[in-house]
Amino acid sequence: MLTITNLQASVEGKEILKGINLTIGKGEIHAIMGPNGSGKSTLASVLAGREDYEITGGTVVFQGEDLLEMSPEARAREGVFLAFQYPVEIPGVSNTNFLKAAVNEVRKHRGLAPMEPKAFLNMMREKMALVEMDQAMVSRSVNEGFSGGEKKRNEIFQMAMLEPKLSILDETDSGLDIDALKIVANGVNKLRSKETSTIVITHYQRLLDYIVPDFVHVLYKGRIVKSGGKDLALELEAKGYDWIKELAQEEVTA
Amino acid sequence: MSEVLNLQEKLVKEFVRMEAMLNGQAQTPVHTIRKQAMVRFTELGFPTIRHEEWKYTNIMPVVKNDYAFNNHTTSSVTKSDIASFLLPDVEANVLVFVNGSFAADLSTIISQKGVEVMPLAEAFKKKTTVVEKHFAKYALWQNDAMLALNTAFALNGAYIEIASGAVIEEPFHLLFVNDSRSQSTFAPARNLVVVGTNAEVTIVESNHTLVSGENYGFTNVVSEVVLADNARLHHYKVQQDVEQSYFVGALHAEQEATSVLNTVVITLSGGIVRNNLSAVLAGKGADTHFYGLYLVNGKTLVDNHTLADHAVAHCTSNELYKGIMDDRSTGVFNGKIMVRPDAQKTLAYQSNRNILMSPNATVNTKPQLEIFADDVKCSHGCTSGQLDDESVFYLRARGLDKEQARALLLYAFAGEITEKIQLGTLRERLESIIAERLHQELVS
Repeated sequence: MLTITNLQASVEGKEILKGINLTIGKGEIHAIMGPNGSGKSTLASVLAGREDYEITGGTVVFQGEDLLEMSPEARAREGVFLAFQYPVEIPGVSNTNFLKAAVNEVRKHRGLAPMEPKAFLNMMREKMALVEMDQAMVSRSVNEGFSGGEKKRNEIFQMAMLEPKLSILDETDSGLDIDALKIVANGVNKLRSKETSTIVITHYQRLLDYIVPDFVHVLYKGRIVKSGGKDLALELEAKGYDWIKELAQEEVTA
Repeated sequence: MSEVLNLQEKLVKEFVRMEAMLNGQAQTPVHTIRKQAMVRFTELGFPTIRHEEWKYTNIMPVVKNDYAFNNHTTSSVTKSDIASFLLPDVEANVLVFVNGSFAADLSTIISQKGVEVMPLAEAFKKKTTVVEKHFAKYALWQNDAMLALNTAFALNGAYIEIASGAVIEEPFHLLFVNDSRSQSTFAPARNLVVVGTNAEVTIVESNHTLVSGENYGFTNVVSEVVLADNARLHHYKVQQDVEQSYFVGALHAEQEATSVLNTVVITLSGGIVRNNLSAVLAGKGADTHFYGLYLVNGKTLVDNHTLADHAVAHCTSNELYKGIMDDRSTGVFNGKIMVRPDAQKTLAYQSNRNILMSPNATVNTKPQLEIFADDVKCSHGCTSGQLDDESVFYLRARGLDKEQARALLLYAFAGEITEKIQLGTLRERLESIIAERLHQELVS
């Protein structure tokens, strides 16, 4: 699905990613953990195509194609979805109209005709249920006046509507209470399939109780310093990040 | 300057010619005001950019043209000339004025209970008491040259009187056509709208210029509006004119207790467009709303000057003007809030937001607050900038291309103003024009 090789990126001349190597297979869930400032969100942004970052080295191949060459919209149409850490409020654009435009762009890219209004509404209804969103929320302007939890549910709702192949959840758990967290995680789990892959970026292990990863990677100072199974997350939870920092230090000095 | 004097001198001559044609109307109180206004206009002269109120709007290009004046014939304009200017699919009172004269054959007046509608020229004779009570009482021309000029030439326009308690569903459409096809023409018009206690009415005002060759049309429409206690007026001004058009106009309202004025001014094109708007909140609990959208490109200059004048306590004014400026267009916003000493418990809000689509577009925005009462809530704010990059990225990350994302955001930005138009057919028509325009601008 996705192969990241020696990816390096900087912002305003400051190197943030210092050589990431990561391979994500079909149907897999990978968690990327790490302390604040380790480069987690930068990685998510670079994969989604945010323009503030300069790619200084490495490659990213998504389904056999050079992802870094694609515009953000081309990536979205190819099936990359970023659930934003801070979803943007867009006054005056209703969720429904926005999603209709987005879904039809993705369909066009896949050689499909625009959806019939009725089919679209049915699809909306079905996906709304996944994240327990009601009609009132969907009729409102995109994220306008939404609580933190509502914004994150809306991200997962959009993900459900766009049916991506690779979803990147950037700290989707931040700012969520336990009930909202369960709703969001439940939505993600229901969307899980053998054909789709997910990257869960999180600071805390808590989310991984509900979205169980196949692999856990620890990012520190722009590099993946340790990879393991789901138990690694529990170990991090128990021991904190300090031992990882020491581990990284040893590697550098060794 | 000599050219300027030429137009001013021509106007003086035209005034004398006009007086000679007044027949018996020359001795009326209204005409006394006209004469005073003419004297005042010649004293003041056309405003230049040295006048604070005209600092950013240079009308010298307007003034230097050689204009013909009202030739008192309207027959040059046909129904097909104005077909596209009319509101679609709506039963309305339509009053068409060609170069300032009432065009009866192009107009449609529905006979309705509670409504008295006629050309102002007719109202001067038939509604003398009402006219004399209100004429030139709200459009204060003494220190405003352009208002003085309009007052001096206040011969015709629309007269609309809504009786107490009458709620009129069908809108009034006042259409001012400047026919400058055979020669550049100056077309003044003057409206008087009197809305009775508990009455409600909707008025749409639009102006269009027909030109050919190098000709320019100069249109000057002033409306005076009085809202009695608890009256409601929805006033929508739609400006989508040709490049070779100049428009200087005003709406001056007087609001009695708990009356509501909703104004929306939409400017989509034109040469130089200047709109003055004022409401005096003269009765307790009066409520005024000023909304404006200017979506302009090319070399269009659009200037909105507004005044919310809180004269008494417990009134509210709410103002939002938005601009989307492309190419070399210029926007001017000057919003003044006046809170007089008696106007305690005033709520006054004002905001002006602009998006500049081109490095050559400019906007000059100036809020002015003059507050002489101490127990009030007033706020103002203005912004000018580009579209928010993060919002564009968010939409692109969902599969919309850059142009679509920008168009959607701009459409939503404009939508905050168009949604204030309660007349469905007009709102939908404007929304589709705006959508089309944004699409074209972003593709080109």
